[in-house]
Amino acid sequence: MLAPAAVLCLGTIVYAIVLEGWFSVSDAGPGTDGVFIGLANFQFLAGLSNFWQMVANTGIYSGTSTVVKLALGLVMALALARPFPGRRVVYAALFLPFIFPVVLGTIAWFFLLSNINGGIDWILLRLHLIAQAFEWRGRLPMVSVVTVNVWHGTALFGVLLLAALRSISTDLLDSATVDGASRVQQFFHIIVPYLKPAALLGVVLSVLGNFGDFAIVELLTRGGPLGRSQIVSTYAFENALVSGDVGLGAAIALVMVPVYVVALVVAYRLLGRE
Amino acid sequence: MKTLVGAARWALLTPMVVLSIAPIVYMGVTALKPAGTPLAVGNPWWPDHPTLGNFADLFGDPQFGHWVANTALVAGGTVLIGLLASILAGYALAYLDVPYGRSIVLVFFATYLLPQAVLFIPLLRVLSRLHLLNSPAALVLTYPSMVIPFGTWVVWSFLRRLPRDLIDSARTDGAGVYSTIVDILLPVLWPALATVGLFAITVVFNDYLYTSTFIQESSGQTIMGALGGLITADIDNPGKSFAAAMLAAAPLALLCAFFADAFARGLSTGIIEQ
Repeated sequence: MLAPAAVLCLGTIVYAIVLEGWFSVSDAGPGTDGVFIGLANFQFLAGLSNFWQMVANTGIYSGTSTVVKLALGLVMALALARPFPGRRVVYAALFLPFIFPVVLGTIAWFFLLSNINGGIDWILLRLHLIAQAFEWRGRLPMVSVVTVNVWHGTALFGVLLLAALRSISTDLLDSATVDGASRVQQFFHIIVPYLKPAALLGVVLSVLGNFGDFAIVELLTRGGPLGRSQIVSTYAFENALVSGDVGLGAAIALVMVPVYVVALVVAYRLLGRE
Repeated sequence: MKTLVGAARWALLTPMVVLSIAPIVYMGVTALKPAGTPLAVGNPWWPDHPTLGNFADLFGDPQFGHWVANTALVAGGTVLIGLLASILAGYALAYLDVPYGRSIVLVFFATYLLPQAVLFIPLLRVLSRLHLLNSPAALVLTYPSMVIPFGTWVVWSFLRRLPRDLIDSARTDGAGVYSTIVDILLPVLWPALATVGLFAITVVFNDYLYTSTFIQESSGQTIMGALGGLITADIDNPGKSFAAAMLAAAPLALLCAFFADAFARGLSTGIIEQ
């Protein structure tokens, strides 16, 4: 009974990773499997300033958006924790960006951030906050891609943290209130420890999701201008598919594996403790 | 105190709600502008002459018909294969004493976290050898590998919490595996299955990497891949693509409206409340 799942999932993945491993030590191109060239691909990358800029970009993209999403998700969860009139509508509105297909959301942002009568420039010009149209994607490419990522992913943190908040019994909070704990004390001593596993899980999912992210960066900036917003997936795509150097692309994609392993260890610790 | 909390809540929530829905509103507004209205002129946030013409155009457009049909085929296939494999694997892991069952669950979880950007280069090669590129089959074969780990995990953790008697009494009555699953488990399992099904649909609707790499012919493309590919060509006449985007997002938004709570619950039961 495990066979369908094992073949479709593990079989595909294991086979793909083995093939990827081979490509990374070969000079494979489009349609050819290449010959063994040792670690030449990795050595080439190590000497490339583009590559290191991409590594830094990926870290900044993943780290910054995760931190902002965690903070906003916490605000969202705390604001939605107790019932109030209109809660359902607000919840649905905040959940919408997460369920809205990321390709389509990014298309909307592409034109919102445009300097040709873009939606954001239009408002800022009317409010006299800027004097002339600003090209967000070209001038602030990393800020642009992080913004869209945060827009899309905040609700996941909100939902995870909200579920954790709701599992705190009101008795616990009540007894703390009777004991004279202030709201601030309650927050740091009771609520924060309860939220920690959910927050950590969100962080693991977000960091890995962002590392493998492709749609937002590819559609918004294509990693440009001049590689200023290149991240690992768009870089691998460009080298393997646009330039046709499959071996180099595979070596780039494999750079994700160490991060993946670390995140996995964190996730297992997290689940093992409970 | 109470009004103060209320005011603080709305002070936080109002900007979050506005930012969450603004890109979607913008997309909807642009879709309502008459065909041929370039983005460079007019108020980006308001249609001066709203019309449903763009939507009407789409219904007679054979290209759009192809994309819808391809997306439906891919989504249907992914949901079906993902659900079947997940139910079988979840059942086996929960009730049949599979050797190393716990390790297998951990391996599934590991593949759930593996970024898809690690795999697309070798998968492209494999699909090309199987002559499956440019066909929806390429996606129906690869998307389940992203659904099954999560699906198995959700089904497994849901089944583990059912009273063991339910299965044991069915087995002593001589029910086979098939009738145990169909008659006894499916009726109680449906919230978990709804979660897995919805997750499968979000996988299909949020992917851009696989669909844009494995499908290069427009007629074989899914809606997401096709619209993503049109993005830069759209500046002079974006209405039709934006209308297509709104229509493409509609199924997911509707599903979300009905199942948001169930989805959120399933997400957290599957992951947090281990």
